[in-house]
Amino acid sequence: MHPRSFRLKFPEPLPSGSAHDFPGSSATPSVLRVRPASPPPKGPPRGPGEQAALALQPRELWVAAHVPQLSLVASGSGTETAPRVIVDPEDHHQRIIDADARAQEAGVRPGMTLAAALAAAPHIEPRPRDPAREHELMLRLAGVAARFTPQVSIEPPDGLLLEIKPSIMLFGGLRQLCRSLRDACGADPVLARLGAAPRFTLAPTALAALAAARAGARCFITDPAVLPARLKPLPLAVLRWREEQNARLAAMGVRTLGELIRLPRAGFARRFGPAQLADLDRLLGRRADPRRRLAPRERYRGTRDLDHEIEDHERILHALAPLLQELEQFLRARQRGITALQCRFHHYRAAPTHCTLRLAAPEASAERFTRLLRERLATLALPGPVRRCELRGGALTQRALDSRHLWSPGEHGHTGSREMPALVEHLRARLGVNAVYGLRRVAEHRPENAWRVAEPVLPGAAKPAAAKPEAVNRDAIDAGLPAHLPFRRPPWLLQAPLALDAHRGRPRHGGALEMLAGPERIESGWWDGGDVQRDYYIARRADGARLWIYRECGGARRWFLHGIFG
Amino acid sequence: MEEGNNKQLAELLAHPSVWRGRSRAAVETLSTGFAALDAGLPGGGWPRHGLVEILTPQPGVGEFYLLLPALAALSRVAPARWCAWISPPHEPYAPALEAHGVALDRMLVVKTHLPLWTHEQALRSGACEIALAWLPRASPRAIRRLQLAAEQGRTLGVLYRSQRFAHMASPAMLRVMLDPVTDAGRHGARVRLLKSRGGSREPIDLTWTAAAA
Repeated sequence: MHPRSFRLKFPEPLPSGSAHDFPGSSATPSVLRVRPASPPPKGPPRGPGEQAALALQPRELWVAAHVPQLSLVASGSGTETAPRVIVDPEDHHQRIIDADARAQEAGVRPGMTLAAALAAAPHIEPRPRDPAREHELMLRLAGVAARFTPQVSIEPPDGLLLEIKPSIMLFGGLRQLCRSLRDACGADPVLARLGAAPRFTLAPTALAALAAARAGARCFITDPAVLPARLKPLPLAVLRWREEQNARLAAMGVRTLGELIRLPRAGFARRFGPAQLADLDRLLGRRADPRRRLAPRERYRGTRDLDHEIEDHERILHALAPLLQELEQFLRARQRGITALQCRFHHYRAAPTHCTLRLAAPEASAERFTRLLRERLATLALPGPVRRCELRGGALTQRALDSRHLWSPGEHGHTGSREMPALVEHLRARLGVNAVYGLRRVAEHRPENAWRVAEPVLPGAAKPAAAKPEAVNRDAIDAGLPAHLPFRRPPWLLQAPLALDAHRGRPRHGGALEMLAGPERIESGWWDGGDVQRDYYIARRADGARLWIYRECGGARRWFLHGIFG
Repeated sequence: MEEGNNKQLAELLAHPSVWRGRSRAAVETLSTGFAALDAGLPGGGWPRHGLVEILTPQPGVGEFYLLLPALAALSRVAPARWCAWISPPHEPYAPALEAHGVALDRMLVVKTHLPLWTHEQALRSGACEIALAWLPRASPRAIRRLQLAAEQGRTLGVLYRSQRFAHMASPAMLRVMLDPVTDAGRHGARVRLLKSRGGSREPIDLTWTAAAA
C-alpha cells in the first residue's frame, strides 16, 4: 500500500472530544492537538452495536508508560543546593543527558558537552549516569504494572509497555483499568519518593503509544483507523532513530511523523533501509510487533536504610514492617508462599548479622512473618546498632489458600491443618530448627540405630508409615520386637550409654543391681563400622527403677546403662 | 418462692464449671487404660482438657507407663494434633512407643532451655492433643498460667515434677503422686490423688504387666 493513501483516508478525528486524554492524567501541556472536524455527537449514546464494534476493533491495546528524565530521577532526590546534570561516563565528549530545572534555567541543555555546560553555568553538579539504578526503577514500575496484565515489557531505557486488551473486562472497563493503573503507580512509595511521574498513553500499537508518551502528548486511542492522523504532528525524535538519519530526514524537509508517513515506501526503503520501513509499519499496525514478556522476579529482595541506628528489637521490627508488607504483596501477586526468609542487619563496623526464618508450611502473610520474627529477634544477639535491614525471600512455592475453620481446635471436625504447622514454626523461631523434631522408626537391630530424628509429619503430607501398616509391623518383628513382649524395650533411651561401675563383675548404679531378665544378645553392624556385640539385661535398682543395661561381649566386658523403663 | 429459688440454685450448681467439695465435677474424660484408676478419678479417666501434675520420687518409676495407654489413644484421635514432649529427660524411644501402639507421626519432641514458655505455647496453640513437660521448677503462678493455657487450647497438659513439690500449693486440675511398688515378679505403682475434683482419696495400686496384657 502507498503511504500517501493515509492522508486521504483518515481525516476523521476521534469519536468524542473528551476521550483524547489518558484517564486520571493531570493537566500536562498537550503537544498533540486534534480539532474535531465536526462537533462531538450529543444526545443519547450511540447504539450498543456500534459501541461493541468500536471495542472489538483493535486486536491489541497498548499502554505505554514513559518516565521523563529517568536518569535524573534515578540519581536521587534533589535536595542539594547545586543544580544537577547527568553525564554519560561512556561518552568521551561527556555530553549532558539530563539537566534539572535549575540547570536548564542557567542555560544547560541536554546534548551539550560538559565543558560547554560548565562554561555556561559553573556551579552545576555533574553526576555520572547509573544505568543499573535506572533499570531497577523501571523494574519496580513493571512490578506495579504486572498487577494489571501479564504482558509487560520494558523498552530500554525509560519506557514500559503493557498489552491490556485481555484485562479490560476484569478491571471493569478500559477507563477504570487505566485509572487504576495510574493510581497504583502513583501510590508506590519508592517511585513517589524519587519523584518519578510516568506519562501514560494508550494506542492500538506499542510503538505509537510509546511515541506519544515520549512526546508528552495526550493520547487515548482505541481505534486503529484514527492512529495515523493522531501521530502526524509528533516530531521525528520520538522514534529514537539514529541521529544521522534524523538529520538526513530533516534535510529532506521531513520533521514530523505525518511527513514521514507520506513518503513513498519504495524510495524510503531504498534510502533508509528495510529496518526503518519495518519500524514505520509497526508504528502504524501494518506489521506484527511481538514483545518479549518481562519474567517476574522469582525471589523477593528488599532493603531499607534506616534514618537512625537502632538497637531495640521492637523498633527493628517496626523498621522491617514496610518490607514485610511489600513481601506480602509480592507473594500475593504471584499466589505463592515462601518457606524461608532471611533477614540481614548491617552494622557500622561489624559483619552483617544473618537471621533465617524457616517455616513449616508456605506462608505469605506479613502478620505471621512479624510474629515469628519477633520471637527470632528476641534470641538474636546483635554486635552493634543496625543501620540497614535487608530482607530476602526464599524460593517461591505453591501455597494452598484456605478459609477460616468452623470448628475450634480440639473439637470434632477440626483438622488442625493451620495450628499444627504454626506451632512448629513458632517454637523453631525461638528455639532453633533442630530443637523441634519428630520420631521415626528404623528397621535395625542396634537399639541406638532403631530410631532417628525426623521432620515432624504435617497434616496433609504423605504418611509413609500409615500407608503401609503391614510393613511397619513386620519391621518391628524383624528388629526383635515380639508383639507379646512390649516391655523388652525401654521407653527412655539414654543419648549415650553410661558406663557403670562394677563390683566383682556385678554392675552397680546407686547400689547393686538385681537382674530381672536377660541376657538378650544383640550382635550387628560389622559391615558399616558400627560393630556392636552386647548382652542386654533388665535390672532393678535399689529404689525400684528398672534399667536396661548391657555388657560388652568382647574387650573389657564393661557394663553400660542404655535405657530406663519409665 | 422458696422452691423457685431452690430450683434456680440447682440449675446453677449443675453447671459443669461449678464444682462443690465432695461432688464429682462433670468433665470430659479419657480412659486411663487402668480400670482401678478410672474408678478413682473424677469422671472416670484423665480430663481431656486441663493440667495434670504427676509427682514422682525420681525418674524411672513408671510415670511413663501410667500415661502410655492414654497417649496411645490420643495419638490416634481423628483430627490430627500433636503429642508434644517438652524437654524430656532422655530420648523417647520410638520402637518402644510403637510397640505400645503409639502413632509416631503425631509425636513432636522439643528440646528447650525454656520449658515453661514452650509448654505454655504448646498448650495455648490448640495444636496439641497432649503436651508432656518436664520442668525443674515452676512457681504456682506459672502453673496457673499453664492451667489456663491448657483450657484455652483444649489440650491435656501433663507436668512431671519431683515429689519435693508435693507440699506446695498448685493450681493444677489434678495432682497425682506416684510411688513404685515392686513385689516379687510384679511391677507396678501406688497412685495417690493429692488433688482432684471429687476423686478417690484411697491409694490405688496399679500393675504395669496387667496393663500391657
